[in-house]
Amino acid sequence: MQPQPSKLRQRELSVLLRGEVQTLQSWSAQWDTQRLVWQIGVIVAGAGMFGASVGWWRDPLQALYTAIKFPLIILLTATGNAMLNAMLAPLLGLNISFRQSFLAILMSFTISGAILGSFAPVMAFIIWNSPPLSPNAWESAGPYSFITLTFVVIIAFAGIAANLRLLQLLRQLGGGKNVAACVLLAWLAGNLFFGSQLSWVLRPFIGSPALPVQFLRATAFKGSFYETIFHAAVQLLTF
Amino acid sequence: MNETNPTPPPFPTPPIPPVAPPPSPTSRAPGDAPEDRAPITGPITAIEAILRQPRRVMYQLRQPGSGALMFYLMLIAILCAVIYGVVVGTFAGKEQYWIAPVKIAGGMMVSALICLPSLYIFACLSGSQARLAEIFGLVMGMLMLTTILLIGFAPVAWLFSQSTESVNWMGTLHLVFWFIAAIFGLRFLNTAFSHSQAKSNAGFNTWIVIFMLVVVQMTTALRPIVGPTDTFFPKEKKFFLSYWTDCLRESAERGNR
Repeated sequence: MQPQPSKLRQRELSVLLRGEVQTLQSWSAQWDTQRLVWQIGVIVAGAGMFGASVGWWRDPLQALYTAIKFPLIILLTATGNAMLNAMLAPLLGLNISFRQSFLAILMSFTISGAILGSFAPVMAFIIWNSPPLSPNAWESAGPYSFITLTFVVIIAFAGIAANLRLLQLLRQLGGGKNVAACVLLAWLAGNLFFGSQLSWVLRPFIGSPALPVQFLRATAFKGSFYETIFHAAVQLLTF
Repeated sequence: MNETNPTPPPFPTPPIPPVAPPPSPTSRAPGDAPEDRAPITGPITAIEAILRQPRRVMYQLRQPGSGALMFYLMLIAILCAVIYGVVVGTFAGKEQYWIAPVKIAGGMMVSALICLPSLYIFACLSGSQARLAEIFGLVMGMLMLTTILLIGFAPVAWLFSQSTESVNWMGTLHLVFWFIAAIFGLRFLNTAFSHSQAKSNAGFNTWIVIFMLVVVQMTTALRPIVGPTDTFFPKEKKFFLSYWTDCLRESAERGNR
């Protein structure tokens, strides 16, 4: 008897999360449209739910916008840097094809998406417990900083776990310890550089109560992601 | 002449075959012992098994058709939480006789459901082979064990609730009881986790911190559970640290007056 497709997919997700590198290597050896759609689905659902839970604090419409924008950043980063990543791997000593590099990165993003999705209920619970966003910035400064930092910690955890699995896969794909680490660092640098700016352009994710709910800010191309995190950390420490 | 026992002549002793030490109860995997494989047929058997043979519960949860066992575990956990809730409600009386049980049972189940997806993800990341359904069953087992132990604490809690008028003291006492009971519940979960081929416990330990924080925050989100209440839900949203600080401050002010 064939297992049900949903059970099969749940098994595939656990294989991915456990980092069973031989299976993952075989997955990266060929295009499988169904698996590709499933992986994109995990990213859209997982990152979308996490985004929605964060955006809900400001407004239900903001939750919808963040649910769209969050997976968008991941998918745009994966596709936008696909060429660069495929070129960097052989240059750094890992002779893999465009398909293998793209699928390996997509698998790591799928892991991130699944982790983010699993934390969506916890994030939603934190948001539900937070006092509503106040138009007076100082009134919401404490909860805002706490939520921003929780948001970043969860994303960082998802990113670290996904990249550890990616490193194991890169080793399996033929890179030695050093080569795999070099390729991963190069990919990470490129993805972080591109992804952080994308996230800045696609802001707001939580949204300010003093500003209208918008998909994109009028000042989308001003400032940077790291400045915001730095200011949030400083605000929390001085609260 | 004294008769002396002559020294027996030395004779070759046969080599003693090395005997493997019996597996310690903690290192034995679920299902290794024949008694672990005995099916759990009802709620009473489930209670007995989780207290005396937790490996039996772990093993049975891995078997196909473990849905009935999960249902028993959940049912008993809810029932025990409701009973303990009634004891909590005796402090304030009136509406709290039904509000406290509803909040305790509901809050506990919701907390577990909030944390279930992250536990599954942590389990997979640690290399565990446990399925989502099995993890759900184990979480229900953890809740059942915790709430059964809370029932054990219930007479003490009831006695204090009749003797004191301090909401803060009673709240602290219930939290301490819950904390002790949760340690045993989490120990059950940890044993199951370590037998599911997990390579590391780091993820599970992180999850414990998340779960504890969620439960503690749930007590604040559903307050008041111990003291008298006008509304079912609180009018103001607060994080637990801020709420506890306010309670301590109020208590200190009352003491100064």
